[in-house]
Amino acid sequence: MSAPIDEKTLKYLAQLSRIKLEEKEEKKFLKNLREILNYFELLKEVDTEHIEPLSGGTLNQNEFGTGQAITENVFREFEKEERGEKEKLTEQFFEKKDNFLKIPPVFE
Amino acid sequence: MNGLTIKTFYEGLKNKKFKAVEIVEEYYKRIAEKDEEIGTYLSLNKTDAISQAKKLDSDIENGKEISILAGTPLAIKDNILIKNQSVTAASKILSHYRGAYDATVIKKLKEKEAIFLGKTNLDEFAMGSSTENSAFKITKNPFDSERVPGGSSGGSAAAVAADLCVAALGSDTGGSIRQPASFCGVVGLKPTYGAVSRYGLIAMASSLDQIGPITKTVEDAEILFDAIKGKDSMDSTSIDLKLQTTNHKLQTPKVIGIPKEYFEAGGLDKEVAKALEEAIKNLKNLGFKFKEISLPYTKYAVACYYIIMPAEASTNLARYDGLRYGKLQITNHSPSQISGGNLGGQESQTLKEIYFDQRGGGFGQEVKKRIILGSFVLSAGYYDAYYLKAQKVRRLIREGFNEAFKEVDVILAPASPTPAFKIGEKITDPLSMYLSDIFTIPANLAGLPAISIPVNLKPNLPVGFQLIGKPFCEDEILTIGKKYENCLH
Repeated sequence: MSAPIDEKTLKYLAQLSRIKLEEKEEKKFLKNLREILNYFELLKEVDTEHIEPLSGGTLNQNEFGTGQAITENVFREFEKEERGEKEKLTEQFFEKKDNFLKIPPVFE
Repeated sequence: MNGLTIKTFYEGLKNKKFKAVEIVEEYYKRIAEKDEEIGTYLSLNKTDAISQAKKLDSDIENGKEISILAGTPLAIKDNILIKNQSVTAASKILSHYRGAYDATVIKKLKEKEAIFLGKTNLDEFAMGSSTENSAFKITKNPFDSERVPGGSSGGSAAAVAADLCVAALGSDTGGSIRQPASFCGVVGLKPTYGAVSRYGLIAMASSLDQIGPITKTVEDAEILFDAIKGKDSMDSTSIDLKLQTTNHKLQTPKVIGIPKEYFEAGGLDKEVAKALEEAIKNLKNLGFKFKEISLPYTKYAVACYYIIMPAEASTNLARYDGLRYGKLQITNHSPSQISGGNLGGQESQTLKEIYFDQRGGGFGQEVKKRIILGSFVLSAGYYDAYYLKAQKVRRLIREGFNEAFKEVDVILAPASPTPAFKIGEKITDPLSMYLSDIFTIPANLAGLPAISIPVNLKPNLPVGFQLIGKPFCEDEILTIGKKYENCLH
């Protein structure tokens, strides 16, 4: 796990992230990202051979006898909700017509 | 009214020592006088707050029973949605956005008739440890205006410390409640992952984010935590808490663990080390037993966190497309005013050009950097080496805590390696800024509750100590914390 980030990779990542970078930013980011990736090298010394990845949550909490663990899918009852939020959520969209939101063509 | 707490405000209101509206108006007066210098608030909610206070006063006049939070003037971190109020996450990309609904924590507080004075400053999208990454203003530490208040909930912590509100809400992804609480000499609680609903919190890193209280006393933190906790059908990670934290009494003194790795690293500032000794001494006098423990993976926590957090943030921030939340007028790569209601003379732009322009100009540097870092660690070829590796180390970190909690009930640690640092000191060196989170990050990675409490009452520059508890054992750290603060008075 070396830190193989060069100008080309950075430009590609910015493309993927849909972020326009100024030349000045590119230089600075490259320096910062190299430093932080270099620091990540530290993790190499940890033996994770038989360790399962952990994505989060408070699993294992049963060991402390304090309620259920977040290990199952969580569903909520289906209900038709009248939250009155639909208009609120779309009213700040930059251009609308009737109930439609207007954007430039997706396929060019 | 100096230094009103939730408790003393409630008692004063109930015993008719003052009216809610008098206190609310007094706070706005203080804000008008002091906040230009300190810079805690991004927006105020004065008209609503005063009319709410008047209504409450007339209810009290008519003999209505009130809740402990009725009329309490609170400050809310500006990444939590309040319906119809501005919510920016301190980012230009949301500079004119208004909340479409109430966050669950806000809904719960409204039911208790709490009053929201305004929204407080933060590092953009909660990414930072000093509040210097705000797109709008610098917040200063109320103890020393040349120093940062910490971050990312720096506005909330400074507002509580400067008495520009009674209490506040913040959010904590890697220490964003506890570190500013420590820097500003106030109390900050990060609840267990799942204890408080995040519905209506602008998401940064979803496996780490929690909302929590920033208050003047541990007792207030408990009151506010009790009011916002609990299962919510709108956040599937929230948990039904069976534990009741109020009026819980410790039967026997608890054993407190001291992780040797936190103290031997050599990175601990002298002032902090001295303050921690004082805290330990005070707790010993209260009858608590101490035991040295080991958390062997501590030194890997920062690297682990700064892989996982940007990975999740790059995904969460993909929603800011420059369309859904309002569009900025971008000229010469810098955003000016919003152009609501039309394409603002940029009709000729393709969709992709809009994305690049809006995100390039609307996000600040730290945010852009973390999105790119997140995209990198998730990309094919590097996923296993970085993201997967970090997730494995995350399990080891949590297992380390599990082992430790077999021997001790609670863990004591510094909240930050240093007291508040100078404005500008770390902003140009991201890695040193990231390393300032070393003592707070582990609790987020393991999902544990943790609280920062000021070591003493009248410091030159505040230092907090941290108590980390077992999952959903907020009551234990709060009870020890309350005993601690009582012994100081």
